[in-house]
Amino acid sequence: MESVIAAMAEQLGPALVVLGAALAVGFAGSGSAWGIGIANEAAAGVMTEDPKKFGYALVLLALPGTQGIYGLLVAVLAMQKAGLLGSAAVALTIWQGLGIGAACLPIAIAGFYSAIWQGKSSAACILLISKRPDQIGKAVILPAMCETYAVFGLLMSILMLMGIRI
Amino acid sequence: MSRNEAYGYAVARIRAMEPMLFDASMFQRMIDSDGLSGALKVLAESCYSRGMAEGEQASERYDSVLEAELNRTFDEIASFVPDRELIDIFRIPYDFHNVKVIMKGILKERSGGKKRFDLLTRLGSIPVDTLSANIESEEYVLLPYGLSSIIPASFSAWDQSGDIVEMERKLDGGMFAAILLLAEKVGEPGVVKWVKSRIDSENLRNLLRLKRFGFDATEVAAFIHDGGTLAPGTLVPLMSEQFDSWGRALSYSDVGLAISAAPDNIDFDKLILALEKSLDDYCSSIVERARFSSSAPENVLAFLWGKEMEVKNIRTILVSKGTNSGGDEVKEMMRRGYY
Repeated sequence: MESVIAAMAEQLGPALVVLGAALAVGFAGSGSAWGIGIANEAAAGVMTEDPKKFGYALVLLALPGTQGIYGLLVAVLAMQKAGLLGSAAVALTIWQGLGIGAACLPIAIAGFYSAIWQGKSSAACILLISKRPDQIGKAVILPAMCETYAVFGLLMSILMLMGIRI
Repeated sequence: MSRNEAYGYAVARIRAMEPMLFDASMFQRMIDSDGLSGALKVLAESCYSRGMAEGEQASERYDSVLEAELNRTFDEIASFVPDRELIDIFRIPYDFHNVKVIMKGILKERSGGKKRFDLLTRLGSIPVDTLSANIESEEYVLLPYGLSSIIPASFSAWDQSGDIVEMERKLDGGMFAAILLLAEKVGEPGVVKWVKSRIDSENLRNLLRLKRFGFDATEVAAFIHDGGTLAPGTLVPLMSEQFDSWGRALSYSDVGLAISAAPDNIDFDKLILALEKSLDDYCSSIVERARFSSSAPENVLAFLWGKEMEVKNIRTILVSKGTNSGGDEVKEMMRRGYY
């Protein structure tokens, strides 16, 4: 029984890292897909009437996609830190694993919500450029405000990962 | 998919259709143009050209050009809007107009007159042929919007009183009840509010017309349609007051402002026109608020109402060209545009 518990403790650290990485990619990626979906509906509506607006719409509907990239980046960094990506194996304690897993949460949560709201902002701005294409500059800035909070999430995740000593 | 998401596409497409609507400069060009043919040339540069055959003189039939464009707009919006009821709210008045024309035709025929099928419009939701066939064969049960009971009731009102106004009053009451029912089916408070504002507008318009014809307060209650925000008990007492005090009496309501905007100290004919314009602008203002939202169903109402107002403005300009009215006079009558 004791040997089983010891084996579990040995594996629990890496398992928590994998869980954190999965949450970072899963939530941030889902938020991005959701946000892009919302923006896509607006873009499709505008392009049905005016296909020439594709270029403008593409810039705006790509914006909510960045959170998915941030999630992927944090997941890779976390797995690398835990030695799960090809580098030499690292012995992780449960607490180290828990720390790395928790470090993935800021981008998972901030990425998920900010991507959805950024998608809504992008959709509204696609409506703006459908009528006033000359306002594309302002139209990009408005949804980019939501991006700030995804960047904060990314920054905090990276700082937390760097702060964990192995 | 949530309701808001379902409207994401629809509202975006409507927004992209907005540049096709007339702006102030287009109306000004029509007003400044040289005669009816000049105004029609300006019209031919717009989306209305689709209803004009190449090289054709549309002066004789501009009404059908305007009708065709409005019908095309209704069809196009209906093809992508999740709630078909929003388009039917606009088509029902044309259905009831057709019912009136067909019923009057039947009554005229009974007295040896001729039917006027040229007055029928294709803007209704029920195909004209179906409507006509069902009414003439008395197959009322096949008709929607409560027409199965309203038409027999209207015919019997005519048989009892011989009063065409009484018959029309019953049909108008049924029309607003059907529109309100559709709005409630959509389940959006903004849509219901807009329909109620239209009922209020119609009631106030009726009151002023009845006042002009010398009706007194005891007679007008029957002409007030149910369903508006202003109860009959509020509206009937207005009949015993001068028009310039109506705005004050209704100042607590949104429509009070619209009435105050209508000029007083002018003759009744001009006053009725001014009030109709103010009330149409009031309905526009109710629904325009939704344009700040990228997913509100009221955007559909705003666009279709804007299109109807555009057609009304174009018709006003074209009629004025035919009668050589002044540009300032025309501008006074024009409704607020959707821009």
